[in-house]
Amino acid sequence: MARLDRIRSALRHLRRGREADRELDAELQAYVELRADENVAAGASPEEARRRALAEMGGLEPVKEAVREARAGGWLADLGRDVARAGRSLRRTPGLLAVVVLTLGLGVGANTAIFGAASATLLEPLPYAAPDRLFFVWSDLEQAGYIRGPLSGPELGDFRDESTTVSDFASTWTTTGQLTGDGDPEQIKLGLVTANFFATLGVAPLLGRDFGPEDEGSEAAVMILGWPLWQRRFGGDPGVVGRTVRTDRGSAVVVGVMPQGFVPLFARDANIPADLQAWMPFDDKLRALPRGLYFLRTIARARPGVGHDAVRHDIEAISRRVVARHTEYAGSGRRFYAVPLQDDVTREVRPALVALSAGAVLLLLVAAVNVANVLLAQALGRRKETAVRVSLGASRRHLLRECLAQGLLLAGLGAAAGIATGAVGIEALVALRPAGLVRLDAVRLDIPVLAFALAVSLAAGLLASLAPLREILRADLRALLAMGGRGASHLGGRTRAALVVAQVGLGVVLLVGAGLLARTFVNAAEVRPGYRPESVLTFRLSLPRVRYASAATVTAFARDLERRLAALPGVEAVGAVSHVPLDGLPNWSTPYVYEAIAGEPRGSHEADARAVSPGYLSAVGAEIVEGRGFFESDDEHSRPVVVVDERLASKAWPGRSAVGQSLNVEFMKDGDFVPTAATVVGVVRHLRHRSLTEEVREQVYVPYRQSIRDPMAYVVRSRADPAALAAAVRAEVAALDNALPVYDVRPLEEYLSAALDPRRFVMLLGAVFAAVALLVAGIGTYGVVACSVTQREHEFGVRRALGARTRDVLGLVFREGLALAAAGLAVGLVGAAVTAPALRGLLFGVAAADPLTYGAVAAAEIVAALVACWLPARRAAKREPLDALRVV
Amino acid sequence: MGDARRDKTGLLQGTLDLLVLRTLATGPRHGLGIARRIEEITRGTFAVTPGSLFPALRRLEDDGFVRGEWGESETRRRARYYELTKAGRRQLEAEKKLWQRVAVAVARVLESA
Repeated sequence: MARLDRIRSALRHLRRGREADRELDAELQAYVELRADENVAAGASPEEARRRALAEMGGLEPVKEAVREARAGGWLADLGRDVARAGRSLRRTPGLLAVVVLTLGLGVGANTAIFGAASATLLEPLPYAAPDRLFFVWSDLEQAGYIRGPLSGPELGDFRDESTTVSDFASTWTTTGQLTGDGDPEQIKLGLVTANFFATLGVAPLLGRDFGPEDEGSEAAVMILGWPLWQRRFGGDPGVVGRTVRTDRGSAVVVGVMPQGFVPLFARDANIPADLQAWMPFDDKLRALPRGLYFLRTIARARPGVGHDAVRHDIEAISRRVVARHTEYAGSGRRFYAVPLQDDVTREVRPALVALSAGAVLLLLVAAVNVANVLLAQALGRRKETAVRVSLGASRRHLLRECLAQGLLLAGLGAAAGIATGAVGIEALVALRPAGLVRLDAVRLDIPVLAFALAVSLAAGLLASLAPLREILRADLRALLAMGGRGASHLGGRTRAALVVAQVGLGVVLLVGAGLLARTFVNAAEVRPGYRPESVLTFRLSLPRVRYASAATVTAFARDLERRLAALPGVEAVGAVSHVPLDGLPNWSTPYVYEAIAGEPRGSHEADARAVSPGYLSAVGAEIVEGRGFFESDDEHSRPVVVVDERLASKAWPGRSAVGQSLNVEFMKDGDFVPTAATVVGVVRHLRHRSLTEEVREQVYVPYRQSIRDPMAYVVRSRADPAALAAAVRAEVAALDNALPVYDVRPLEEYLSAALDPRRFVMLLGAVFAAVALLVAGIGTYGVVACSVTQREHEFGVRRALGARTRDVLGLVFREGLALAAAGLAVGLVGAAVTAPALRGLLFGVAAADPLTYGAVAAAEIVAALVACWLPARRAAKREPLDALRVV
Repeated sequence: MGDARRDKTGLLQGTLDLLVLRTLATGPRHGLGIARRIEEITRGTFAVTPGSLFPALRRLEDDGFVRGEWGESETRRRARYYELTKAGRRQLEAEKKLWQRVAVAVARVLESA
């Protein structure tokens, strides 16, 4: 009961603290006046009476203080006053304030930005209806070279028929299409989808209607526009629904427009670009397509209330039944599996973001340790003052409260600086965003991110402010005076040294991580991709089928354009290809069969396939290791020929020449894939056209003229700056056909640079964290050494007086600094050796225990320590012997 | 809160509270009045300073044992008058009994020693 009363009154006081203060003032005033009246009655003059009354009390303030202390809840009000006092005291030491705010700001800012990025990309649910019920269905074709492959039409049909846990399966495939008619023709990325694709995602069109079952596999083409295309090409006109647009595939009726911000979010290797501009239903009957034609990227929506495991088991069970039922799969090891869509989408970015989060936490620790160190130094400096206050009756509780107040204040300042840094950091992250991190654009300084920043600051500020607590609580005037105000520093000094060692150690872990990422980046940038990307301009074309219906017209156009481009001044070589290296368009592949595996089922061996013109291999700079490239004479009338990469050659014909061998691959004939026995005429070094850091799988090149397939890209190798050719290239295309859009005109090197973006992103962030950590740890080392030099000035003076040379004094200081650095380095290198293997997934061409990186980090740390010691050492050496003695 | 049991008057904290409650049992008084009354009855043994009186009053008020209200003094000054609440009366009785028991016990110890 009494406790309840006290709580209630505590709350009342908190609420009415100021009012209570005023009331107390009035009451004490009244007391003084009453007392003065007594004095007047005793014969004093009014002024004298009042003066005596006040003097008796010993002033109003101590009484007020005593009252506040007695009251429940008073301590919180006092804390407020202490915070204000701490603020005043910090303002008197701007250097300390700056160091604290800067380090906390950087630490908190880095964490805020990274937390924002991680939550927007990893934690935020996908922007679809009930996203936790969505799965991606993959096909494991490991024997054929990939474990995350697409499905074929009949396979999709099997899953639709047999699943008990999934209500909808929907598929998509990406292609390019051309919008003609009103306005300039333009190339768009087009998504072909099953009619239920948007319904399965749970996203409805903004205008018009969704696709219906009748739209799929039908002659009457319909289209749904993406919001950006609708805005750009159709001016956001709502009347676009129902209008007919002309495409290179014929005309299509616009039936709907997707809402703003609708972006297909899938794993990068699903090859469903985020910048798809329009969608059309598949015009094929998917079930009627060959079982071996894998192209469907397939999502599944689980029935409500079905758990993830149930869906996975269901898909695997169907997978086993389907594989057992069809002879095509015999011995192929085929398997299908489902992955929750959220996990699948974040799969690639997760390791990098987790590593960066860990880096940010390390940085925050370094910053917090630095603040702790600075506060400890401050407490040591004020030791005398504290001891005097204790002996004058300041309670321990009061000192503790001051400590807490300072911590709160620093936390507040750190949070403010951190949020400001974090906001800048988030902007920088978005600006640096690699293409794969689409959802990073959604990072905002929203409530959870702000709450995170506040919590992190509070934790860091309070932890740091507890560091000097021990020093404060053991403040003892007699002991202090007995030691002449000097000796006791060794205890605090040891704590400070330990803090610096911890700081250096944490910094070293960060440096090693950043170093490994930097080496990874350099290795990836220096990969020899199998072609020479310098001085090559690329662009794309797509010939409308309406005007280029026959193979002969397409072939003639390509031949003419190649000739015209080759005749441009400065042009060395020209070639056409289905894909520009690293363009991220859906990959083409073909099953292949050679003599030794003729008995195996078709589709058990797959290679990436590219259709190329005769000039392509030399224009892109491919290296022919055996045989020849393609000739003009390898056309539709001559025997089918192929060029293969070394991997395929050594796999199919180990120890023998591949040239002259027969290889059965698919050629495109009149819109159909036709297995064709072709003769190998050449072997090229593997071209890394899908990944810079991996040789994904074997490659087959077929002559464009024997296997015509849209779309077409051109590569132009020149002696001059490739970008300068852009205008001439457009003019040549227009001279042949001025209705053809030319798009993606850019140097090949841009594709390589974009492919390096994710690694560059991670490396840059890692480097920034490490640099900050190195700097902060350097400041920490400097602080401790400088403080120790100040304390030892007397000692240095004596040493000088006894004949020590400048060099000896410098040596003493440097030895102290280097000892700290060495201890920190030892701790850090061990820490790095333990933690670096966690980075393995992000590394390329460098071991987690790379001696070069560790050595460089050690050298950097030692240099940093030397720099940190330099100023204090000079100060120590400059001291004249007598000066130093006089200071005491 | 374990240490501040003895305040500046040298009285045990509880003792001053008891004295204040006892003083108010005869009617409302303001702060100075309470101090004077305590000096009177203890014949000057206890000089109650504002530094201990006002904290005690606030504590008692927070505990709900006394209630303060502004009024006018004999010398026509505004002053805050305190009176006992019902809970205060009960507390006074309880503390009186406790104090008597303690006093008797202490006296016995002192006599027998």
